[in-house]
Amino acid sequence: MAKMRSDRLKIVFVLCLAFVSIGGQHFESKVAQLLRDESEDIKCFVEVKDLTCFWEEERNSLPDQYTFTYSYENKIKDCVVSSLSLLASNKTVFFCKLPKTPFFTTLDVKVSRDRRMLYSRSLNAENFMFLDPPRNLTVLSSGKEGQLNVSWLPPLLKYMDDSMIYEVRYAEEGSNMGKVEVIKVSTMLVLLGLQSDTRYKVWVRVKPDGVAYKGYWSAWTEPVLGVTQPSELDPLIMLLVLFIGLILCLLSMTVILSHQKFLLKKLWPDIPTPERKFPGLFTVYKGDFKEWMSQNNSSMWGRSVHVFTEELPSPLEVLSEVSLSSHGTSQREERKPVEEDEEKESERSDSGLPDRWREPPQAHWLMEQLRTLQENPQPLSQSLLPQSHDTYVTLNQNSQGDGVREVDDVFEETLPLQTLFTTAGTPSLNTSHSDLGSLQQSSGSGRLSSQSSFEYPNHTWPPKGPGYAYMAVADSGVSMDYSPMSSSRIVELGRHRMYTNDYKNEIFLHKWPLSGEHTKSGSDFCMGPIW
Amino acid sequence: MFHGSGLFAFLLMVLEWTRPGLSSPLRPICDLRVVDHFIKEAWDAEAALRACKDACSIATNFTVPLTRVDFDVWAAMNIEEQAQEVQSGIHVLNDAISSLQASNQTDVLQSHIDASINNIASIRQVLRSLSIPEYVPPTNVGEDKEMQKVSSISELFQVHINFLRGKVRLLVASAPVCHQGVS
Repeated sequence: MAKMRSDRLKIVFVLCLAFVSIGGQHFESKVAQLLRDESEDIKCFVEVKDLTCFWEEERNSLPDQYTFTYSYENKIKDCVVSSLSLLASNKTVFFCKLPKTPFFTTLDVKVSRDRRMLYSRSLNAENFMFLDPPRNLTVLSSGKEGQLNVSWLPPLLKYMDDSMIYEVRYAEEGSNMGKVEVIKVSTMLVLLGLQSDTRYKVWVRVKPDGVAYKGYWSAWTEPVLGVTQPSELDPLIMLLVLFIGLILCLLSMTVILSHQKFLLKKLWPDIPTPERKFPGLFTVYKGDFKEWMSQNNSSMWGRSVHVFTEELPSPLEVLSEVSLSSHGTSQREERKPVEEDEEKESERSDSGLPDRWREPPQAHWLMEQLRTLQENPQPLSQSLLPQSHDTYVTLNQNSQGDGVREVDDVFEETLPLQTLFTTAGTPSLNTSHSDLGSLQQSSGSGRLSSQSSFEYPNHTWPPKGPGYAYMAVADSGVSMDYSPMSSSRIVELGRHRMYTNDYKNEIFLHKWPLSGEHTKSGSDFCMGPIW
Repeated sequence: MFHGSGLFAFLLMVLEWTRPGLSSPLRPICDLRVVDHFIKEAWDAEAALRACKDACSIATNFTVPLTRVDFDVWAAMNIEEQAQEVQSGIHVLNDAISSLQASNQTDVLQSHIDASINNIASIRQVLRSLSIPEYVPPTNVGEDKEMQKVSSISELFQVHINFLRGKVRLLVASAPVCHQGVS
């Protein structure tokens, strides 16, 4: 019987010790934390219902040396000072725990030693609540993906259940980057937006909400691990997604295959080649234009007509108009510089064609004019001294002293070309920037002289007929080589591409008798059809 | 006919104004957030007037209630004692703050004074809704036991906030009407 009693006493004693030590652990940890964080000389906190105030002193002092007094509402009371050694930081503090702490009133606390006041402080006890951490923290995975249910119990405190706020901290296991959620009053929380199938650590701490009571944040609870649910790939959804993907693929393939050619053309356009327009030139005659011309000129006429009915007329610039009465009194055809005359291009139209068709008979007259010009080149070229700086090529009707030709227009038209090609020593026109006046019309045959092109101001061709003897040609930057050996060469002319060899006869054929047609200003040089 | 209906309307107006009959019982306001709302407003007033020390001090003293709460002592009191302490304290506080209204004060101070008086009136309604017994002026002179004197406006408002946070809130939290369903 006595043995049982002593056993029970021992058990109770051990439990008490344990309880005290646990409480002491909390107490010690709180003291240690405030020692670190609080800057006041006297640091105070309320643990459950009692205010504890402590201060740090040297090791060799004794608690009896200190006097702790607190006063409120004109009453002064004493408190017994005790000492506490903090093992963790190897410091000693002296503290006093007020037995019946008055709340909601101003307390004046004083610490004195040897009748000399050391520290003092004035505070309200309810503003220094230092709660214990929440209890029974549990983390469970909710039924849904990426969510965790966290719940806990508030610390044991009677009057403050409804005036606490909590802070929940969670982080992936092994990571230091955590997120924090603040929650008021309620003691459970659902964490959202988490990664699936991941382990998370969760901590909670508590503090008074600051309305009725104020205080410090409690210590964090011990971390509790929770695992989120693995993500489920709904098989039906996967199947549907695959199926739809397959259908889309098939559709797109079908579309691509059916419009293969069109798409290819759009994405990878063919480089235009002139072969279509010069049948046999490259295949049969290996680019020998002269040969090709000679072989094809008879049949070209008829064919070219059709060709030209389909196409827009190439832009040609009429350089000057030669009056039929005298070459010296030719009306000036003023043309604006190439760059300004873009809208002239719009004037190209097939409407010119009928005009041209009406005009062939006047070609003969034109030849005459050219011949006269040939004989008297000088004044004309002078009179035509340009003001712009465009380079152009004039096509001289070089008769070489031939008689009046009663031949086909075609032949007449081809003459310049022929002469062009016969004179091997013809200087190639290499003026990229027009050197106006430097190349003058001479009596040489087959020469190309450059003169500036002028804008024809009034859109009035000489009523006498198409008297233009010159054709304005393209412009700056163009290097044109008319040597018979040159193959077609693309010359970049600003924005325009041209084939220097694309001296398409048919154009001149139709443009010589042009009346009133303003082709594009000198930006285009005797061009063939532009591809 | 017209006279009859006019008289009836006039009578209704007069009765409504004087309210001779008992007002219908209010629904109990057990939610502490209501009291917390008043406390927050009282915090604002106290914070505003803590800074105003010299300009806000006046010569006369105010009689204000004691705000101290000992939890053990409070828990040992019954509801009537608690109610009496709270109601008398509110009454005295109201008198003290109302006396400020008469004197010339700044606009800021005046707004806080008005807000505090309105709060006290609202708290009275809350207590009434909880069936807390009304204030009964004590017959004996022992009322000074629970009173104190303050000499500045900032102290007055400190007393005001401490009283609300302490005794008033504890009383509302422990009102029997709110715990009837709970055993």
